[in-house]
Amino acid sequence: MATILPGKELAEELQMASRPKALHTPMEQVIEAAAAQALTDNQYFRLVGQLWAMKRMYYYVYGAWGSSLTINQYPPSVDYLFAKQVYDESTHEMLYSQAILHKGWAKFQRSALRHPYCQFVPASGIGLYIFSMRGLANYAHSLRLAAIDLGPKVLELGWLERLAAASQDEYLQKLFASQVPETRSHVMMGRFMVERFVSQPVDVALCQELVAMACRDYTTALQGIADFVLAPAVSPPRSSRN
Amino acid sequence: MPTLRVDHAKCTECRMCYYACEEIGINAVYIDLEPRHRFEIDAHKCTYPTCVVCLMYCPAPGSIVEAETGRSLVPPPPDLWRDRSEKWLRDVILAAKERP
Repeated sequence: MATILPGKELAEELQMASRPKALHTPMEQVIEAAAAQALTDNQYFRLVGQLWAMKRMYYYVYGAWGSSLTINQYPPSVDYLFAKQVYDESTHEMLYSQAILHKGWAKFQRSALRHPYCQFVPASGIGLYIFSMRGLANYAHSLRLAAIDLGPKVLELGWLERLAAASQDEYLQKLFASQVPETRSHVMMGRFMVERFVSQPVDVALCQELVAMACRDYTTALQGIADFVLAPAVSPPRSSRN
Repeated sequence: MPTLRVDHAKCTECRMCYYACEEIGINAVYIDLEPRHRFEIDAHKCTYPTCVVCLMYCPAPGSIVEAETGRSLVPPPPDLWRDRSEKWLRDVILAAKERP
């Protein structure tokens, strides 16, 4: 008997809608600068520092989501997949922290946390994205996972691969490249969730809307990071909308 | 000096060694930059046998071994349980801070 996957077409549609956007994120400017060897050590520090700040804030997002994963709403596989995604994000957060120490940009994690390049600024592009994602806590888990995994994760996968290829520094190249398989697995998790658990017309419409919203807000976060990295003079990261 | 390495067949990837080492500023435990993201110990940064903090926190028997002899150090054998006073801990932290 064939497995019934009510959301198979929707998952494909959402993923296909996000893919072209992955080639045109604000990170392209950073990738081009990296490929042209135009990024200074200080600019790489700004990049890694802000990516670290964003990854740290995923604890804040997933913490809110996890608290509403209720018993019997989904089979155990869903809890497992979500836990794995949280674990992977934590690993990526640690990788950025480790890179800051390895590169000598900070001597201890404590001093890195205090550094202006590594700060999370609520009134910034990252702030907008993080608060937007946390606001999805009241949605069904299948919908919010679809939003993040078939939206921003598709974009992240795109720029991660190309940034890894463009980076001239071997350590940073490996830092970005090593995150690719886990990020790809998050996209697959989103696909799994939609295929299995999204079938009602209202959920289909919500999925489409949330994925578009998540992509838009993630793009704003990336714009903030790119602006901060590429600015000749450094000021605290702020939203491009401010 | 003897060095440490992680036995990946026994390590549960609980991360306690990473956080304990980071907490005292030695940062010898690191995540390998390959897709499996396994934990490794940098022999150039690790101060074993002066510091044994990772061994004291590791919950998985046999997962950290002496690289040269293959001797399992988890749970820590009796010869590692020497007097480790607060002064010793301060010395370890100071030594880490003074490293270039």
